[in-house]
Amino acid sequence: MTAVLTNPLRVGLRQERVIPPQCLVIFGASGDLTHRKLIPALFELFRQRRLPSEFAVLGCARRPWSDEEFRARMAEALSDEVADHASAWEQFSSGLFYEPVDLQVPEHLVRLGQRLEGIDRLRATRSNRTFYLSVSPTFYGSGCRALADAGLLNDPLRSRVVIEKPFGRDYGSAEKLNRIVQTCAKENQVFRIDHYLGKETVQNILVLRFANTIFEPIWNRNFISSVQITAAETVGVEERAGYYESSGALRDMVQNHLTQMLALTTMEAPGRFDPEAIRNEKAKVLQAARLADEAEPWNCCVRGQYGPGGSRSRPIKGYREEPGVNPNSTTETYVAMKLFIDNWRWQGVPFYLRTGKQLPKRLSEVVLTFREAPVHLFDAAGGSPTANQLILRIQPNEGAEFRFEVKAPGSGMRSRPVDMQFSYDESFGEPSDEGYVRLLADAMLGDPTLFTRGDEVEAAWRLYTPLLELIEDSPWQLPVQPYEARTWGPAAADSLLASDDLMWRRP
Amino acid sequence: MTPQLTLQAPVELPPPELTSYLEKLWQHDLEHSSGASTFTLLVWQPAWVEQHLVRLGRLEGPVTGVVRPEVLEAAREAVDFCGLPPSTSPLAPELAMALGEHTGVDHVGEDLRGQHVESAISAYQPRRLITLAPTLSKSAGLETLVAAYCPLSEEGNNGATCGDVVVLRGDFDALREGLSLLQPLVPDDLPCWVWWNGSLEEAPDLLAALSSPGRRLVIDSALGPPRRCLDLLEERVNSSTAVNDLNWLRLRGWRESLAMVFDPPGRRESLSHVVHLDIDVEGSHPVQGLLLAAWIADRLGWHFVTSYNMDGDAIGADFERSDGTEVRLKLMPVPVGIPSSHPGTIVGLRLICEPDDRQPLCVILCSETGGCMRLEAGGVARMELAEDVVPKVPGSDEMEMGRLLGGGHDSTTPLLAAAAPLAAKLLPH
Repeated sequence: MTAVLTNPLRVGLRQERVIPPQCLVIFGASGDLTHRKLIPALFELFRQRRLPSEFAVLGCARRPWSDEEFRARMAEALSDEVADHASAWEQFSSGLFYEPVDLQVPEHLVRLGQRLEGIDRLRATRSNRTFYLSVSPTFYGSGCRALADAGLLNDPLRSRVVIEKPFGRDYGSAEKLNRIVQTCAKENQVFRIDHYLGKETVQNILVLRFANTIFEPIWNRNFISSVQITAAETVGVEERAGYYESSGALRDMVQNHLTQMLALTTMEAPGRFDPEAIRNEKAKVLQAARLADEAEPWNCCVRGQYGPGGSRSRPIKGYREEPGVNPNSTTETYVAMKLFIDNWRWQGVPFYLRTGKQLPKRLSEVVLTFREAPVHLFDAAGGSPTANQLILRIQPNEGAEFRFEVKAPGSGMRSRPVDMQFSYDESFGEPSDEGYVRLLADAMLGDPTLFTRGDEVEAAWRLYTPLLELIEDSPWQLPVQPYEARTWGPAAADSLLASDDLMWRRP
Repeated sequence: MTPQLTLQAPVELPPPELTSYLEKLWQHDLEHSSGASTFTLLVWQPAWVEQHLVRLGRLEGPVTGVVRPEVLEAAREAVDFCGLPPSTSPLAPELAMALGEHTGVDHVGEDLRGQHVESAISAYQPRRLITLAPTLSKSAGLETLVAAYCPLSEEGNNGATCGDVVVLRGDFDALREGLSLLQPLVPDDLPCWVWWNGSLEEAPDLLAALSSPGRRLVIDSALGPPRRCLDLLEERVNSSTAVNDLNWLRLRGWRESLAMVFDPPGRRESLSHVVHLDIDVEGSHPVQGLLLAAWIADRLGWHFVTSYNMDGDAIGADFERSDGTEVRLKLMPVPVGIPSSHPGTIVGLRLICEPDDRQPLCVILCSETGGCMRLEAGGVARMELAEDVVPKVPGSDEMEMGRLLGGGHDSTTPLLAAAAPLAAKLLPH
């Protein structure tokens, strides 16, 4: 008999919310994101029967494609899935349409409106529309304005707009973009996407904290001595040199993904599970966060850039040798920093954030280190007892781990640390949805819980403003320090913690 | 959740004036409000037990139709008063019948059925809530009451979205007469849910008239004769007309708890080697237990072979796994001291798996409120034991209804559609 691969008793038990009839309009439909993430996520939703029959996707870009050409290109990009689920694809792709649109040309917007009305009649999508701006960030503001001028955002209950990251380049540009967007649509129509929030394990931070009674009483400065948040990548810049050269690790990872993990880890309990209540708490804690030394940020931040590495048989290029990268580039591919949060819960607790490319392991995790026992009664096998640690593993091997001391077997009373593990794989054994599946569904449902609100984005940018200004105005004070590819970053990052008698956790 | 009273005291009208009054209500009294563009909810609300308890002075009125703790407490006391077995559920139709046989001084209580809108339901802003409230009196003519209600939004926005409430009250004949008033009251352009909140046998003609194919019927298969309940579910499933069952929804905790046992991939192989399934239910109403057994059999791909009555009102059934091995089901009614609100609530489940080259696995799930001594006995010591307690599904029937209304599904859930016809086969004729 063949082994049971999935749990047959689990099928259909999740009560999924029903996405209302609607048309999803993707601007930038000829771009990578559409065929790499968005259409696969929508096809997954279709196969999970979570899309209503009254549903359509309208791809929009400048290229003069037809509906058939758009469908053929998407089928080619998803060839494996299409081969495995041919009849499902046939059904799904009949709801894919394409309209050549340049958002800067008003006549195109008029034509778009007419096309949408036609789709409403054809697919019964009832004038519900989600506009997805998968375009260059420089067009976010003008794109929203064009949609608003064409009257396509007039109905706050039937239209919403999804904006990809990055939302601004700094506090000033984010604030300006927010002002533009908020004149075009109400805040509850705007969905600023951060795909990290679509990860099951990031959402689990909220459940772990607020669905259990054992963690919250000790989740504060009285019991926690420090927190580390790491997002490490083993890849280099790949084909994103053009974008990465102008952003760097700080803008690409820290301001959004790491800051969201920080906010979920440190926010106060919301009064209820409600998008605004949660986003209020996140915004509040980010407003209370600051760099450990705002006056002299170089004391609390390290920038690095990967150099050549690897082995003789498998050499790895340094960042400056990557195609499309300036050979004298000073863009950071690694950043580590120390933050504080000035509120009653976290005053005095250091938060260490780090992210980098070409590091030895791909992983994201939050590590909460608890204060040591006030008196050491026992000898520790490792010399001194290890502080308790709670490790929330975001990826890979998603789960949580709690490290504590136990009696080492034997006649003496020596202690040694052990790990208590929870693994999503072992407990559930089902792959969780890709982040875009969850986020696209939520946007179409009009649920903004996992999207960043305007004030949250601004608070996140404001937090790093001293650092961004320093890099802009006097970069020599915070130079990029080279590190060998596939090592854990520059030595200065270790020194940042060593000065507090701490070490980065080596996962 | 606190029930919300209507915005105004309901106006009692002569039946012929109902439609014109509603038009006037929207044109004048509610002219600054918008009508919710949601759905119509038609509720059959007999509340027989509550009506009898109030009539006999065993419960203070008014009659609301909402199952409050006081109603349950008075009903539990009445089980003993009527000489029924202690396992009789306080909402069982048998209790209402037994109470009906007691005569004496009739206490009169105010009848507010249909005028209390539970917040679990009003949160979904029904456009029109129509309640059919049959009376104990066999000679009560048709009374019609109308009111508006505007649920207060927590955000406190000014533009209220309102609905209206219509109550048709009277004896069976009067309500039959009232059917002609109903059709024009149900807006064609909105979905219509029909909640039959009573036994399925008490007015089959009214049930048939109310639950015409385009409407989304919600029943409670814990109320009424088991054969009738399962046949109705099967008929609706076979004719592809939407049906939902509160008794099925109350199984949620059992289905989730059993699925959880097999979530760890290391346990899944055992699901292909089930040899025995035991289910214990409260009292003598087997439908919930049969639905659970049918769901398990359907999910695990067992083929139904036969079903039969066993000693002690137990039901037995044989299945065949896809590898040809026999699986035996035994559904056993067990007496309980304090029965749950609904007849036939599951008390415990035991699933025995015998993989070829591994230790047998015995899964025992036990309800939070009962014990599982019977299932724990009998040679399970040599097996790997996975035991768990199934938490009681919190909330009232109104909350389950709210969940259904919020889900917006216009068809029968596929799991129920697969389980109900099989459950009908499991009940021996």
